[in-house]
Amino acid sequence: VSFELVVLGMVAVTFGSRLLGLFLTVPLPPFWLRFIRFVPIAVFAALVTPSLEGSRGEGVERVIAAVICGVLAWRTKQLWIGLFAGMAAFWLLRIVL
Amino acid sequence: VKEFWLGFRALFPLYLGVVPFALAFAVTARAAGLSVWETQVLSLFVFAGSSQFSAAQLFGTGASGLTIILTTFLLNVRHALYGLSLAREVPLNTWQRIVGGFFLTDENYGVVLASQRRSFAFLLGGELSLYIAWNAFTLVGALAGSLVPDPASIGVDFVFPLSFLALLLPLLRARAEIIVAVFSGALAWIVSSRLPGGLPILITGVVGSLLGAWLTRGETPKTPTLEDAAREVA
Repeated sequence: VSFELVVLGMVAVTFGSRLLGLFLTVPLPPFWLRFIRFVPIAVFAALVTPSLEGSRGEGVERVIAAVICGVLAWRTKQLWIGLFAGMAAFWLLRIVL
Repeated sequence: VKEFWLGFRALFPLYLGVVPFALAFAVTARAAGLSVWETQVLSLFVFAGSSQFSAAQLFGTGASGLTIILTTFLLNVRHALYGLSLAREVPLNTWQRIVGGFFLTDENYGVVLASQRRSFAFLLGGELSLYIAWNAFTLVGALAGSLVPDPASIGVDFVFPLSFLALLLPLLRARAEIIVAVFSGALAWIVSSRLPGGLPILITGVVGSLLGAWLTRGETPKTPTLEDAAREVA
């Protein structure tokens, strides 16, 4: 199979997945409306926890940095402040610990 | 136009993670034997970081085309959930769904949902912001090759999880929302040690949202809890 054909397949399944949800606009029963309301919460949580371990056992550093990031982002309501503080803490802890 | 640039700029903090990730992808792809053009084609047309990464590695090991496409599907089918949620938050016509859908990513979905902006211009601004950065640094990485350090070794792989943590917290107002977040975090943590890539996100997204819908079974669906709570961060 040629490279172009594989890429075409990759685009089809990726773009297809992206369009699928956007075009599913039929009226939904209340249960599924509530379901959709919880999607960002469930997904964002799922994007955070698996990476708290780290491949080289730097779990402690990651958890502390995440707490700092979380508290600051929540208090300041600014994504970038939490993010930069969390990363700064992470880098510092990697050196110190 | 103003909304577009607000969206464009809202993604800037995430460049800290996007840039090294794009560079690393390009280096992996080149090392797997793809040409500069082929590497760039993946970023231009597929535009989905983790699946491009795994595809590059699979190309290198001589995996079949079908394997690569199926892996891509498993990693990216979670975008259907984002679209489902996004289409109910942002008013979009048919063309806006097609264009907005092509550039949709975890990061763009997250930033739009967590902001108080609900316009196509804001969404597209963020999407193109990420698209341009991702493609520009794919090219740099493809040309610079082995000079690029591994993102995990310098720790910038941690930028994305931290971003989503910051996007998640303002959404947690009611008890059911906190329960769903804790449950989903724990579930994803357990599942991710057994299954690869985007699959744990999809499974957790579905199971966690089912739990949320079940926990709130007495409520009327029109309670604007999330919409109100979401008007923060980013």
